[in-house]
Amino acid sequence: MLWSRNSVRRGLDLVAGLLIAALPAHADMAYVTCQNGDALSVFDLDQGVEVARWSLPGQPAGIAVSDDAVFTVAPMAKAVRRHDPMTGEVLTEAVLDGGPTGIALDITHGHLFVSDWYNARIWVLDSTDLTVLQELSVGSAPAGLDVSEDGRLLASADRDANQVSFFDADSLSLLGRVTVGERPYGLRFHKDGRLFVGNVGTNDISVINPAVLQVVGTIPVGERPYGVGFSGNLGFATNQYANTLSVFDATTLEPIKEIDTNEYPEGIDTTSDGKIVIANWFDNTIQIIDPTTQDITATLETADGPRAFGRFIRP
Amino acid sequence: MKRRSFLVAAALAALPGMALAHGPSRQKISLTTEVAAAPEEVWATIGNFQDMSWHPAVHSSTGEGGNNIDATRLLVLGQEGGPTIAEVLYKYDAAKMTYSYRITDVAVEVLPVTNYSSHLTVTPRDGGGSKIEWKGAFYRGYPNNDPPPELNDEAAIAAVTGVYQAGLDALVAKFGAPGS
Repeated sequence: MLWSRNSVRRGLDLVAGLLIAALPAHADMAYVTCQNGDALSVFDLDQGVEVARWSLPGQPAGIAVSDDAVFTVAPMAKAVRRHDPMTGEVLTEAVLDGGPTGIALDITHGHLFVSDWYNARIWVLDSTDLTVLQELSVGSAPAGLDVSEDGRLLASADRDANQVSFFDADSLSLLGRVTVGERPYGLRFHKDGRLFVGNVGTNDISVINPAVLQVVGTIPVGERPYGVGFSGNLGFATNQYANTLSVFDATTLEPIKEIDTNEYPEGIDTTSDGKIVIANWFDNTIQIIDPTTQDITATLETADGPRAFGRFIRP
Repeated sequence: MKRRSFLVAAALAALPGMALAHGPSRQKISLTTEVAAAPEEVWATIGNFQDMSWHPAVHSSTGEGGNNIDATRLLVLGQEGGPTIAEVLYKYDAAKMTYSYRITDVAVEVLPVTNYSSHLTVTPRDGGGSKIEWKGAFYRGYPNNDPPPELNDEAAIAAVTGVYQAGLDALVAKFGAPGS
Protein backbone atom coordinates (compact mmCIF):
# COMPACT_ATOMS: atom_id res chain seq x y z
CA MET A 1 0.00 0.00 0.00
CA LEU A 2 3.03 2.27 0.01
CA TRP A 3 2.37 3.56 -3.45
CA SER A 4 -1.09 4.77 -2.56
CA ARG A 5 0.13 6.46 0.62
CA ASN A 6 2.85 8.20 -1.33
CA SER A 7 0.47 9.43 -3.95
CA VAL A 8 -1.89 10.68 -1.26
CA ARG A 9 0.94 12.52 0.39
CA ARG A 10 2.07 13.98 -2.91
CA GLY A 11 -1.46 15.25 -3.39
CA LEU A 12 -1.43 16.80 0.07
CA ASP A 13 1.94 18.39 -0.63
CA LEU A 14 0.47 19.92 -3.74
CA VAL A 15 -2.43 21.35 -1.77
CA ALA A 16 -0.05 22.63 0.88
CA GLY A 17 2.05 24.22 -1.85
CA LEU A 18 -0.99 26.01 -3.19
CA LEU A 19 -1.85 27.23 0.30
CA ILE A 20 1.65 28.56 0.80
CA ALA A 21 1.48 30.31 -2.53
CA ALA A 22 -1.81 31.87 -1.50
CA LEU A 23 -0.31 33.52 1.58
CA PRO A 24 0.49 37.23 1.11
CA ALA A 25 4.18 36.84 1.97
CA HIS A 26 6.63 34.33 3.36
CA ALA A 27 5.51 34.81 6.93
CA ASP A 28 7.61 33.49 9.78
CA MET A 29 5.64 30.82 11.60
CA ALA A 30 6.19 29.88 15.25
CA TYR A 31 5.33 26.35 16.36
CA VAL A 32 4.90 26.43 20.13
CA THR A 33 4.54 23.11 21.94
CA CYS A 34 2.21 23.49 24.93
CA GLN A 35 3.01 20.70 27.34
CA ASN A 36 0.24 21.05 29.93
CA GLY A 37 -2.44 21.66 27.31
CA ASP A 38 -1.51 18.74 25.03
CA ALA A 39 -1.45 21.18 22.16
CA LEU A 40 0.67 23.12 19.72
CA SER A 41 -0.04 26.81 19.10
CA VAL A 42 0.84 28.02 15.59
CA PHE A 43 1.58 31.73 15.16
CA ASP A 44 1.90 33.86 12.08
CA LEU A 45 4.58 36.17 13.45
CA ASP A 46 4.23 38.76 10.70
CA GLN A 47 0.60 39.32 11.61
CA GLY A 48 1.13 38.59 15.31
CA VAL A 49 -1.77 36.16 15.60
CA GLU A 50 -2.30 32.54 16.60
CA VAL A 51 -3.58 30.97 13.39
CA ALA A 52 -4.09 27.38 14.58
CA ARG A 53 -4.05 25.22 17.68
CA TRP A 54 -3.28 21.57 17.05
CA SER A 55 -4.37 18.92 19.49
CA LEU A 56 -1.23 16.99 20.40
CA PRO A 57 -1.47 14.25 23.05
CA GLY A 58 1.42 13.17 25.28
CA GLN A 59 2.55 16.51 26.75
CA PRO A 60 4.73 17.80 23.91
CA ALA A 61 7.85 19.89 24.65
CA GLY A 62 10.61 19.28 22.09
CA ILE A 63 10.29 20.93 18.68
CA ALA A 64 12.21 21.12 15.40
CA VAL A 65 11.14 22.59 12.07
CA SER A 66 12.12 22.45 8.41
CA ASP A 67 10.64 23.90 5.22
CA ASP A 68 8.32 20.96 4.74
CA ALA A 69 7.85 19.46 8.20
CA VAL A 70 7.36 20.16 11.90
CA PHE A 71 8.73 17.61 14.37
CA THR A 72 7.47 17.29 17.94
CA VAL A 73 8.47 15.20 20.95
CA ALA A 74 5.75 14.14 23.41
CA PRO A 75 7.51 12.48 26.38
CA MET A 76 4.39 11.11 28.08
CA ALA A 77 3.42 9.35 24.85
CA LYS A 78 7.11 8.55 24.22
CA ALA A 79 6.33 9.75 20.71
CA VAL A 80 8.21 11.66 18.03
CA ARG A 81 5.93 12.95 15.30
CA ARG A 82 6.40 14.45 11.88
CA HIS A 83 3.63 16.90 11.01
CA ASP A 84 2.44 18.68 7.94
CA PRO A 85 3.43 22.29 8.77
CA MET A 86 0.23 23.71 7.34
CA THR A 87 -2.38 21.37 8.80
CA GLY A 88 -0.65 19.71 11.74
CA GLU A 89 -1.59 16.32 10.35
CA VAL A 90 0.67 13.59 11.73
CA LEU A 91 2.47 12.18 8.69
CA THR A 92 4.68 9.75 10.63
CA GLU A 93 4.95 8.75 14.26
CA ALA A 94 7.62 6.79 16.09
CA VAL A 95 7.37 5.51 19.66
CA LEU A 96 10.75 5.54 21.41
CA ASP A 97 11.11 3.42 24.52
CA GLY A 98 12.69 5.72 27.08
CA GLY A 99 12.35 9.40 27.82
CA PRO A 100 12.44 11.29 24.52
CA THR A 101 13.08 14.96 25.35
CA GLY A 102 15.21 17.27 23.18
CA ILE A 103 15.28 17.27 19.38
CA ALA A 104 17.37 18.71 16.57
CA LEU A 105 17.23 18.36 12.81
CA ASP A 106 20.21 17.84 10.54
CA ILE A 107 18.85 18.78 7.11
CA THR A 108 22.13 18.01 5.35
CA HIS A 109 22.11 14.34 6.27
CA GLY A 110 18.35 13.88 6.74
CA HIS A 111 18.87 12.98 10.39
CA LEU A 112 16.65 13.77 13.33
CA PHE A 113 18.32 13.59 16.74
CA VAL A 114 16.28 12.91 19.88
CA SER A 115 17.74 12.80 23.41
CA ASP A 116 16.74 10.07 25.88
CA TRP A 117 16.49 11.76 29.29
CA TYR A 118 16.46 8.42 31.11
CA ASN A 119 19.02 6.33 29.27
CA ALA A 120 22.02 8.56 28.45
CA ARG A 121 21.73 8.23 24.70
CA ILE A 122 20.64 10.00 21.55
CA TRP A 123 18.49 8.31 18.96
CA VAL A 124 19.42 9.04 15.36
CA LEU A 125 16.27 8.87 13.23
CA ASP A 126 15.68 9.08 9.51
CA SER A 127 13.94 12.45 9.31
CA THR A 128 11.43 11.21 6.73
CA ASP A 129 10.22 7.83 7.99
CA LEU A 130 11.42 8.25 11.61
CA THR A 131 13.07 4.84 11.77
CA VAL A 132 15.91 4.56 14.28
CA LEU A 133 19.21 4.34 12.39
CA GLN A 134 21.64 4.43 15.29
CA GLU A 135 22.13 5.33 18.95
CA LEU A 136 24.82 7.61 20.35
CA SER A 137 26.10 7.33 23.93
CA VAL A 138 26.11 10.51 25.98
CA GLY A 139 26.25 11.52 29.66
CA SER A 140 23.42 11.23 32.16
CA ALA A 141 20.11 13.01 31.43
CA PRO A 142 20.68 14.48 27.97
CA ALA A 143 18.28 17.38 27.36
CA GLY A 144 18.89 20.08 24.74
CA LEU A 145 20.33 19.22 21.32
CA ASP A 146 21.49 21.45 18.50
CA VAL A 147 23.13 21.12 15.10
CA SER A 148 25.63 23.78 14.00
CA GLU A 149 24.54 26.08 11.17
CA ASP A 150 27.12 24.57 8.82
CA GLY A 151 25.62 21.15 9.54
CA ARG A 152 28.90 19.64 10.71
CA LEU A 153 28.38 19.26 14.47
CA LEU A 154 25.81 17.88 16.87
CA ALA A 155 25.89 19.01 20.52
CA SER A 156 24.08 17.46 23.48
CA ALA A 157 23.59 19.05 26.93
CA ASP A 158 24.12 16.10 29.28
CA ARG A 159 22.42 17.66 32.28
CA ASP A 160 23.34 15.42 35.16
CA ALA A 161 26.88 14.88 33.84
CA ASN A 162 27.54 18.66 33.74
CA GLN A 163 28.95 18.31 30.25
CA VAL A 164 28.30 18.83 26.55
CA SER A 165 28.95 15.96 24.12
CA PHE A 166 30.02 16.85 20.58
CA PHE A 167 29.55 14.56 17.58
CA ASP A 168 30.64 14.80 13.96
CA ALA A 169 27.30 15.05 12.13
CA ASP A 170 28.74 13.31 9.07
CA SER A 171 30.37 10.24 10.67
CA LEU A 172 28.27 10.37 13.90
CA SER A 173 31.48 9.72 15.83
CA LEU A 174 32.14 11.31 19.21
CA LEU A 175 34.51 14.28 19.00
CA GLY A 176 34.70 14.89 22.71
CA ARG A 177 32.97 15.91 25.90
CA VAL A 178 33.40 19.31 27.51
CA THR A 179 32.71 19.98 31.19
CA VAL A 180 30.56 23.07 31.67
CA GLY A 181 28.63 24.59 34.63
CA GLU A 182 26.12 22.69 36.69
CA ARG A 183 23.13 21.08 35.00
CA PRO A 184 23.29 22.33 31.39
CA TYR A 185 19.86 22.08 29.77
CA GLY A 186 19.28 24.33 26.75
CA LEU A 187 21.96 25.15 24.19
CA ARG A 188 22.40 26.85 20.83
CA PHE A 189 25.14 27.20 18.23
CA HIS A 190 26.04 30.75 17.22
CA LYS A 191 26.39 31.32 13.47
CA ASP A 192 30.18 31.62 13.94
CA GLY A 193 30.36 28.04 15.25
CA ARG A 194 30.67 28.61 18.98
CA LEU A 195 28.22 26.81 21.24
CA PHE A 196 26.42 28.60 24.10
CA VAL A 197 24.89 26.42 26.81
CA GLY A 198 22.74 27.54 29.77
CA ASN A 199 23.61 26.01 33.16
CA VAL A 200 20.52 26.00 35.37
CA GLY A 201 22.53 25.06 38.48
CA THR A 202 25.15 27.81 38.27
CA ASN A 203 23.02 30.50 36.58
CA ASP A 204 25.48 31.14 33.80
CA ILE A 205 26.24 30.35 30.19
CA SER A 206 29.30 28.39 29.11
CA VAL A 207 30.71 29.39 25.73
CA ILE A 208 32.52 26.58 23.94
CA ASN A 209 34.82 26.67 20.93
CA PRO A 210 34.18 23.24 19.37
CA ALA A 211 37.40 23.43 17.32
CA VAL A 212 39.41 23.04 20.51
CA LEU A 213 36.65 21.47 22.64
CA GLN A 214 37.18 23.99 25.41
CA VAL A 215 35.13 26.50 27.36
CA VAL A 216 36.35 29.91 26.18
CA GLY A 217 34.12 32.07 28.34
CA THR A 218 31.36 32.17 30.95
CA ILE A 219 28.52 34.71 31.08
CA PRO A 220 26.59 35.34 34.29
CA VAL A 221 22.83 35.47 33.66
CA GLY A 222 19.66 35.29 35.79
CA GLU A 223 18.31 32.43 37.84
CA ARG A 224 17.74 29.13 36.00
CA PRO A 225 18.68 29.88 32.39
CA TYR A 226 16.82 27.37 30.21
CA GLY A 227 17.27 28.65 26.69
CA VAL A 228 19.75 30.59 24.55
CA GLY A 229 19.17 32.52 21.32
CA PHE A 230 20.88 35.10 19.11
CA SER A 231 20.13 38.15 17.02
CA GLY A 232 23.19 39.31 15.13
CA ASN A 233 25.86 39.86 17.72
CA LEU A 234 23.46 39.91 20.65
CA GLY A 235 22.85 36.85 22.79
CA PHE A 236 19.76 36.19 24.90
CA ALA A 237 19.02 33.76 27.73
CA THR A 238 15.60 32.94 29.21
CA ASN A 239 15.82 32.85 33.01
CA GLN A 240 13.05 30.63 34.25
CA TYR A 241 13.04 31.53 37.96
CA ALA A 242 13.97 35.20 37.52
CA ASN A 243 11.26 35.85 34.91
CA THR A 244 13.78 37.77 32.85
CA LEU A 245 15.58 37.66 29.53
CA SER A 246 19.32 38.32 29.84
CA VAL A 247 20.92 40.24 26.97
CA PHE A 248 24.65 39.91 26.38
CA ASP A 249 27.26 40.79 23.80
CA ALA A 250 28.10 37.54 22.02
CA THR A 251 31.62 38.77 21.15
CA THR A 252 32.84 40.35 24.39
CA LEU A 253 30.53 38.09 26.44
CA GLU A 254 29.64 41.13 28.59
CA PRO A 255 26.12 41.25 30.11
CA ILE A 256 24.09 44.17 28.72
CA LYS A 257 20.62 44.13 30.22
CA GLU A 258 17.88 42.12 31.92
CA ILE A 259 14.41 42.43 30.39
CA ASP A 260 11.39 41.58 32.57
CA THR A 261 9.24 38.89 30.95
CA ASN A 262 6.15 36.90 31.80
CA GLU A 263 6.63 33.97 34.17
CA TYR A 264 8.84 30.96 33.49
CA PRO A 265 10.34 31.99 30.15
CA GLU A 266 11.80 28.94 28.45
CA GLY A 267 11.82 28.31 24.67
CA ILE A 268 13.60 30.92 22.56
CA ASP A 269 14.23 31.42 18.84
CA THR A 270 14.89 34.11 16.26
CA THR A 271 12.76 35.32 13.33
CA SER A 272 14.24 35.80 9.86
CA ASP A 273 14.41 39.57 10.51
CA GLY A 274 16.19 39.13 13.82
CA LYS A 275 13.41 39.45 16.38
CA ILE A 276 13.55 37.24 19.46
CA VAL A 277 10.53 35.14 20.43
CA ILE A 278 10.24 33.48 23.84
CA ALA A 279 7.66 31.10 25.33
CA ASN A 280 6.53 31.71 28.93
CA TRP A 281 5.47 28.43 30.48
CA PHE A 282 3.52 29.67 33.48
CA ASP A 283 1.67 32.57 31.87
CA ASN A 284 0.72 30.79 28.63
CA THR A 285 2.20 33.44 26.36
CA ILE A 286 4.86 34.08 23.79
CA GLN A 287 6.59 37.45 23.79
CA ILE A 288 8.37 39.14 20.91
CA ILE A 289 11.45 41.25 21.61
CA ASP A 290 12.88 43.92 19.33
CA PRO A 291 16.67 43.48 19.53
CA THR A 292 17.32 47.14 18.65
CA THR A 293 15.31 48.69 21.46
CA GLN A 294 15.55 45.54 23.59
CA ASP A 295 11.90 45.96 24.52
CA ILE A 296 8.98 43.56 24.40
CA THR A 297 6.81 44.55 21.45
CA ALA A 298 4.05 41.95 21.68
CA THR A 299 2.58 39.40 24.10
CA LEU A 300 0.37 36.71 22.58
CA GLU A 301 -1.63 33.96 24.29
CA THR A 302 -0.90 30.26 23.74
CA ALA A 303 -2.44 26.99 24.85
CA ASP A 304 -1.54 25.82 28.38
CA GLY A 305 2.12 25.45 29.33
CA PRO A 306 4.20 26.57 26.31
CA ARG A 307 7.70 25.03 26.26
CA ALA A 308 8.89 25.38 22.64
CA PHE A 309 12.05 23.48 23.55
CA GLY A 310 14.18 23.71 20.40
CA ARG A 311 14.28 25.75 17.20
CA PHE A 312 10.59 26.50 16.71
CA ILE A 313 10.41 29.27 14.09
CA ARG A 314 10.01 28.31 10.43
CA PRO A 315 10.98 31.18 8.12
CA MET B 1 6.47 8.77 59.39
CA LYS B 2 9.50 10.59 60.65
CA ARG B 3 11.78 7.59 60.38
CA ARG B 4 10.48 6.81 56.91
CA SER B 5 11.18 10.38 55.81
CA PHE B 6 14.67 10.18 57.18
CA LEU B 7 15.36 6.93 55.35
CA VAL B 8 14.17 8.40 52.07
CA ALA B 9 16.32 11.48 52.58
CA ALA B 10 19.31 9.30 53.33
CA ALA B 11 18.68 7.21 50.25
CA LEU B 12 18.48 10.30 48.08
CA ALA B 13 21.63 11.74 49.62
CA ALA B 14 23.45 8.54 48.69
CA LEU B 15 22.53 9.10 45.04
CA PRO B 16 23.42 12.72 44.33
CA GLY B 17 22.08 12.63 40.80
CA MET B 18 18.72 11.35 41.94
CA ALA B 19 17.79 14.37 44.00
CA LEU B 20 18.25 16.58 40.95
CA ALA B 21 16.51 14.35 38.45
CA HIS B 22 12.89 14.97 37.66
CA GLY B 23 10.01 13.71 35.55
CA PRO B 24 9.46 14.72 31.95
CA SER B 25 6.69 17.25 32.40
CA ARG B 26 6.54 20.18 34.82
CA GLN B 27 3.14 20.72 36.39
CA LYS B 28 1.55 23.95 37.54
CA ILE B 29 -1.45 25.08 39.49
CA SER B 30 -2.89 28.46 40.32
CA LEU B 31 -5.54 29.01 43.00
CA THR B 32 -7.09 32.33 43.93
CA THR B 33 -9.50 33.47 46.58
CA GLU B 34 -11.06 36.76 47.62
CA VAL B 35 -11.39 38.19 51.12
CA ALA B 36 -13.02 41.26 52.68
CA ALA B 37 -9.88 42.69 54.35
CA ALA B 38 -7.66 45.28 52.65
CA PRO B 39 -4.48 44.04 50.91
CA GLU B 40 -2.27 45.66 53.58
CA GLU B 41 -4.00 43.70 56.28
CA VAL B 42 -3.72 40.39 54.41
CA TRP B 43 -0.08 41.09 53.57
CA ALA B 44 0.67 41.75 57.25
CA THR B 45 -0.42 38.16 57.91
CA ILE B 46 0.98 36.20 54.97
CA GLY B 47 3.82 38.53 53.89
CA ASN B 48 6.19 37.34 56.60
CA PHE B 49 8.17 34.39 55.24
CA GLN B 50 9.15 33.46 58.78
CA ASP B 51 5.59 32.97 60.03
CA MET B 52 3.33 30.52 58.24
CA SER B 53 1.09 29.97 61.25
CA TRP B 54 -1.84 31.20 59.13
CA HIS B 55 -1.83 27.80 57.39
CA PRO B 56 -3.77 25.14 59.34
CA ALA B 57 -1.33 22.36 58.43
CA VAL B 58 1.70 24.21 59.81
CA HIS B 59 2.56 23.49 63.43
CA SER B 60 5.69 25.63 63.63
CA SER B 61 8.05 27.59 61.43
CA THR B 62 11.65 28.40 62.26
CA GLY B 63 14.20 30.03 60.01
CA GLU B 64 16.89 32.56 59.32
CA GLY B 65 17.25 35.65 57.20
CA GLY B 66 13.85 37.29 57.71
CA ASN B 67 12.39 38.28 54.36
CA ASN B 68 15.71 38.67 52.59
CA ILE B 69 16.60 36.71 49.48
CA ASP B 70 17.98 33.28 50.44
CA ALA B 71 16.16 33.36 53.80
CA THR B 72 15.28 29.85 54.97
CA ARG B 73 12.50 28.29 57.00
CA LEU B 74 11.73 24.83 58.29
CA LEU B 75 8.03 24.04 58.52
CA VAL B 76 6.89 21.33 60.93
CA LEU B 77 3.54 19.96 59.88
CA GLY B 78 0.67 18.82 62.08
CA GLN B 79 2.28 18.55 65.49
CA GLU B 80 5.58 18.67 67.29
CA GLY B 81 7.87 16.08 65.73
CA GLY B 82 5.73 15.99 62.59
CA PRO B 83 7.06 15.79 59.03
CA THR B 84 9.04 18.77 57.80
CA ILE B 85 9.46 20.90 54.70
CA ALA B 86 12.59 23.04 54.22
CA GLU B 87 12.16 26.11 52.05
CA VAL B 88 14.17 29.07 50.75
CA LEU B 89 12.98 32.52 49.68
CA TYR B 90 14.22 33.62 46.26
CA LYS B 91 12.08 36.63 45.39
CA TYR B 92 10.45 39.20 47.66
CA ASP B 93 8.74 42.45 46.75
CA ALA B 94 6.81 44.11 49.60
CA ALA B 95 5.63 46.96 47.36
CA LYS B 96 4.04 44.51 44.95
CA MET B 97 3.00 42.23 47.85
CA THR B 98 4.48 39.13 46.28
CA TYR B 99 7.16 36.59 47.07
CA SER B 100 8.50 33.35 45.66
CA TYR B 101 10.11 30.44 47.42
CA ARG B 102 11.07 26.88 46.70
CA ILE B 103 11.37 23.66 48.62
CA THR B 104 14.93 22.58 49.29
CA ASP B 105 14.05 19.37 51.11
CA VAL B 106 10.90 17.32 51.52
CA ALA B 107 10.19 13.60 51.52
CA VAL B 108 7.92 12.52 48.69
CA GLU B 109 5.76 10.77 51.30
CA VAL B 110 5.02 14.19 52.79
CA LEU B 111 4.51 16.08 49.53
CA PRO B 112 4.89 14.00 46.34
CA VAL B 113 6.78 16.64 44.33
CA THR B 114 10.30 17.59 43.28
CA ASN B 115 11.80 20.86 42.00
CA TYR B 116 8.94 22.76 43.61
CA SER B 117 8.60 26.53 43.49
CA SER B 118 5.73 28.63 44.81
CA HIS B 119 4.48 32.20 44.51
CA LEU B 120 2.09 34.12 46.79
CA THR B 121 0.62 37.46 45.70
CA VAL B 122 -1.93 39.84 47.22
CA THR B 123 -3.69 42.38 44.98
CA PRO B 124 -6.62 44.78 45.53
CA ARG B 125 -10.01 43.38 44.59
CA ASP B 126 -12.39 45.38 42.41
CA GLY B 127 -15.07 46.68 44.73
CA GLY B 128 -12.95 46.40 47.90
CA GLY B 129 -11.10 43.70 49.75
CA SER B 130 -8.24 41.59 48.42
CA LYS B 131 -7.45 38.91 45.94
CA ILE B 132 -4.93 36.28 46.99
CA GLU B 133 -3.21 34.19 44.36
CA TRP B 134 -1.11 31.13 45.18
CA LYS B 135 0.77 29.50 42.33
CA GLY B 136 3.02 26.48 42.23
CA ALA B 137 5.31 24.84 39.68
CA PHE B 138 6.75 21.39 40.28
CA TYR B 139 7.55 17.95 38.93
CA ARG B 140 5.97 14.76 40.19
CA GLY B 141 7.56 12.86 43.08
CA TYR B 142 8.88 10.02 40.94
CA PRO B 143 11.82 11.15 38.79
CA ASN B 144 11.95 8.14 36.47
CA ASN B 145 9.76 6.75 33.74
CA ASP B 146 6.42 5.05 34.49
CA PRO B 147 5.66 6.35 38.00
CA PRO B 148 3.56 4.47 40.57
CA PRO B 149 0.13 6.10 41.02
CA GLU B 150 0.96 7.74 44.35
CA LEU B 151 3.92 9.55 42.76
CA ASN B 152 2.55 10.47 39.32
CA ASP B 153 1.62 13.87 37.88
CA GLU B 154 -1.99 13.63 39.07
CA ALA B 155 -0.92 12.82 42.64
CA ALA B 156 1.45 15.81 42.68
CA ILE B 157 -1.25 18.18 41.42
CA ALA B 158 -3.81 16.84 43.90
CA ALA B 159 -1.44 17.18 46.86
CA VAL B 160 -0.34 20.75 46.13
CA THR B 161 -3.90 21.79 45.33
CA GLY B 162 -4.95 20.43 48.73
CA VAL B 163 -2.27 22.45 50.52
CA TYR B 164 -3.17 25.68 48.72
CA GLN B 165 -6.90 25.20 49.14
CA ALA B 166 -6.58 24.60 52.89
CA GLY B 167 -4.45 27.74 53.25
CA LEU B 168 -6.74 29.94 51.20
CA ASP B 169 -9.83 28.62 53.00
CA ALA B 170 -8.21 29.54 56.32
CA LEU B 171 -7.58 33.08 55.04
CA VAL B 172 -11.22 33.44 54.01
CA ALA B 173 -12.23 32.25 57.48
CA LYS B 174 -9.87 34.78 59.08
CA PHE B 175 -10.59 37.82 56.90
CA GLY B 176 -14.15 37.07 55.79
CA ALA B 177 -15.56 36.71 52.31
CA PRO B 178 -15.96 40.00 50.43
CA GLY B 179 -19.36 41.65 50.85
CA SER B 180 -21.88 40.63 48.29
